[in-house]
Amino acid sequence: MQNPDVIVSCEGLDRTFVTKDAGENRVLQDINLQIRKGEFVVLIGPSGCGKSTLLNIIAGFDRPSSGVAAIAGERIEGPGPDKAMVFQDYALLPWLNARENVEIGLRMKGVVAAERTKQALHVLGLVGLTEAAERPVYRLSGGMQQRVSIARALALKPKVLLMDEPFGALDAFQRAIMHKELVRIWRATGATIVFVTHSLEEAVFLGERVVAMTPKAVGLTGELIIDMPRPRDPLSPEFAALKRKLYDMLTAHLPADVDLFAD
Amino acid sequence: MSVDSASGTHSLGHSVARPNAAASIVKSLLTSVKYGLLGTLMPIAFVAIWWAAVEAGFFPRSVLPSPFAVGAALFDWAFGDPARGGYSGALLAAIGASGQRVLMGYGIAMCLGVGIGVPTGASKTLGALIDPFIHLLRPIPVTAWVPLSLVFFGFGFKGAVFLVALGSFFPIVVNTIEGVRGANRSLIKVGRMLGARGLKLLWFFILPASLPSIFVGLRLGMGISWVLIIVAEMMSVKSGIGYTLLDAYSFGRFDVVIAAMITLGVMGFLSDRIILAIEAVTLRWHRETSIHAES
Repeated sequence: MQNPDVIVSCEGLDRTFVTKDAGENRVLQDINLQIRKGEFVVLIGPSGCGKSTLLNIIAGFDRPSSGVAAIAGERIEGPGPDKAMVFQDYALLPWLNARENVEIGLRMKGVVAAERTKQALHVLGLVGLTEAAERPVYRLSGGMQQRVSIARALALKPKVLLMDEPFGALDAFQRAIMHKELVRIWRATGATIVFVTHSLEEAVFLGERVVAMTPKAVGLTGELIIDMPRPRDPLSPEFAALKRKLYDMLTAHLPADVDLFAD
Repeated sequence: MSVDSASGTHSLGHSVARPNAAASIVKSLLTSVKYGLLGTLMPIAFVAIWWAAVEAGFFPRSVLPSPFAVGAALFDWAFGDPARGGYSGALLAAIGASGQRVLMGYGIAMCLGVGIGVPTGASKTLGALIDPFIHLLRPIPVTAWVPLSLVFFGFGFKGAVFLVALGSFFPIVVNTIEGVRGANRSLIKVGRMLGARGLKLLWFFILPASLPSIFVGLRLGMGISWVLIIVAEMMSVKSGIGYTLLDAYSFGRFDVVIAAMITLGVMGFLSDRIILAIEAVTLRWHRETSIHAES
């Protein structure tokens, strides 16, 4: 590999789904993407653009039909703790409390009890959940459950943190809080984050680099570097201008029959 | 809530909240008493109609004894002096005999049902191998196995245990397979992402998640156990509640027949409650998550 800073590398990725009713569906065509260590990359696009498929390939849940996806120079062969996913529906284990949920990945690695409790409490503190460590997760609010899920992923010390529309189930206020929290956590940990969304606002608020994807396109549609200083004010004209730019980038390449941002 | 006009602030203070809290506790207590009483209404009405029908002479007393005669028979069966012979004081022995067979048969069904169900649900290959066979055997009513059971296990303990085990095995194994399969589908991604594979994935992720479904099978299996122990005891065993029931029938002792029916109802109810109590402790999370889903 030329650049040792590159953590995630996708070269010439194709993914075609074959279904009985719709025949062949080429979701990804010739996708090339390099993500550097510590970067916060947002993948954005309307439904059907393949952003979740791309994330699933990086997570190891799915395999490309052709092309190579690699993490730290090693070809991705399946899911594992080096590429931790934060799911939209949290996917916590309801029979464990918050701390035990964070510990479970360390337990699978064979970390001894005292050490994993120490590490779990550390990451729970990082996401602001020290108080809730011993509470059953089903008693926590959606926002708190998603924090547990983020803590669980961080505890794995992954090479890359993958987030698939993680705040989609939260209300607007909780989402705004979680946006700020995520930026804080990202800066505190230096994690490499790949974040999937279909919200322009979310993309511009969070991303250092926003990668735009559109359905049935060959390759990625475009890329926008967001160099706006943080904290970013979503109500500032600068912010609005960046959203506009991103919107134009997405709509310029959109096939006529695609309903933009239909969920 | 009151508005303090002097300071212009709303006070939601304790002086207001405390009597309200006490009142609401009393109110909820009254509500639960009310619903508890509603639940006893139907049984009381049932016994009253039964009594009235017997007193009015709709049925001969030899066929339908009054509730009091049944109560007396039950009391004599339970506490009567065994020296008097007949059914006196024989209840505990009957419950012991039936209970022992149920426990044995049910225990075997539980071990086999969960033991076979978990690997069958977890592995596609084992599922393809075992699942069709189970579904092929399952539609055969367990009572149809009685002749074969008599040939292989003879009259007595073994035959009864075999029938109970066979009958309760099917609901346990089927619900275990379904539970493990469902848990596998929903948890395999997160489990593998967290670094769990093979037995660790099964033990830490899939088994806990499939416990609610396994408990459904355990409850159904227990219900069927009590049905089959009676069938077995009527057909092939010379002791137990089922045997007493049939014996009393042949002597025209319908007071004892009904007393045996009541005993069976109570045994079935109690054993179901025991499983529910174990479930309530093990599956707190499940009860609470289902409440959350409904609200």
